[in-house]
Amino acid sequence: TGGHTTEILRLLSCLSESYSPRHYVLADSDKMSEAKIRSFEQKRAETFSESQFSLDRIPRSREVRQSWISSVVTTLYSILYSIPLTYKRKPDLILCNGPGTCVPVCLSAFLLGLLRIKRTIIVYVESICRVETLSLSGKILYYFSDYFIVQWPDLKKKYPKSVYLGRIV
Amino acid sequence: FRFKESLAEELQSADLVISHAGAGSCLETLEKGKPLIVVINDKLMDNHQLELAKQLHRDGYVLYCNCSTLVETLQSMDLSALKPFLPGQPEKFASFLDKVFGLQ
Repeated sequence: TGGHTTEILRLLSCLSESYSPRHYVLADSDKMSEAKIRSFEQKRAETFSESQFSLDRIPRSREVRQSWISSVVTTLYSILYSIPLTYKRKPDLILCNGPGTCVPVCLSAFLLGLLRIKRTIIVYVESICRVETLSLSGKILYYFSDYFIVQWPDLKKKYPKSVYLGRIV
Repeated sequence: FRFKESLAEELQSADLVISHAGAGSCLETLEKGKPLIVVINDKLMDNHQLELAKQLHRDGYVLYCNCSTLVETLQSMDLSALKPFLPGQPEKFASFLDKVFGLQ
């Protein structure tokens, strides 16, 4: 959604064509991100003509201010929905930065890794908005990601297993 | 207007920006070198927006307030005291990922 999409596209901006094809996963209720992504990919195609990408949508795991109990139910539903998608794409790398949408996708990839179906490297970059505390997605994925990147030194102190590269968006 | 694909035009011609604390809005404004007053939304669940505004304010890049103190802030602001904002470095991230995948 919104801010997350802007941030993740900035993260992608310096990546080489080795990171291709790119499969974007969006929440079904997200109306704005698709345009931003297409615009980004269009510009990219000007430099890298072989550039490939796709867009998939999954049910949104959690609305802002949704209660905890109903969030668990909707997230479980999103995980079930994500498993066939992750199985189909079998990504080498999942890159995410915090919207609720990323939790089911990452957990489904983690599951496929446990089942020895596909080992995906999960890289989580906490949003630049998070200076002192982690988002809920971050708190969960701190334990499931291979690399957990934070953008402010306070978080590096609190979460010693994280990686600190300074501001990267 | 409610939604527009890009505010780049409006930002370019603005002398002062008053915005919510969303990362995109703040960063876009700061990167265009415009003075920014960030207004915090008290109603979002854990109000983490405050963290970024506080940090940007601590580092001297923005002024910040909430809806009720906005008028007061506008009346007493000193925009010349704001520091120029250095952009983030996504190339550091690309470099890090390349190392992870042995692409260097």
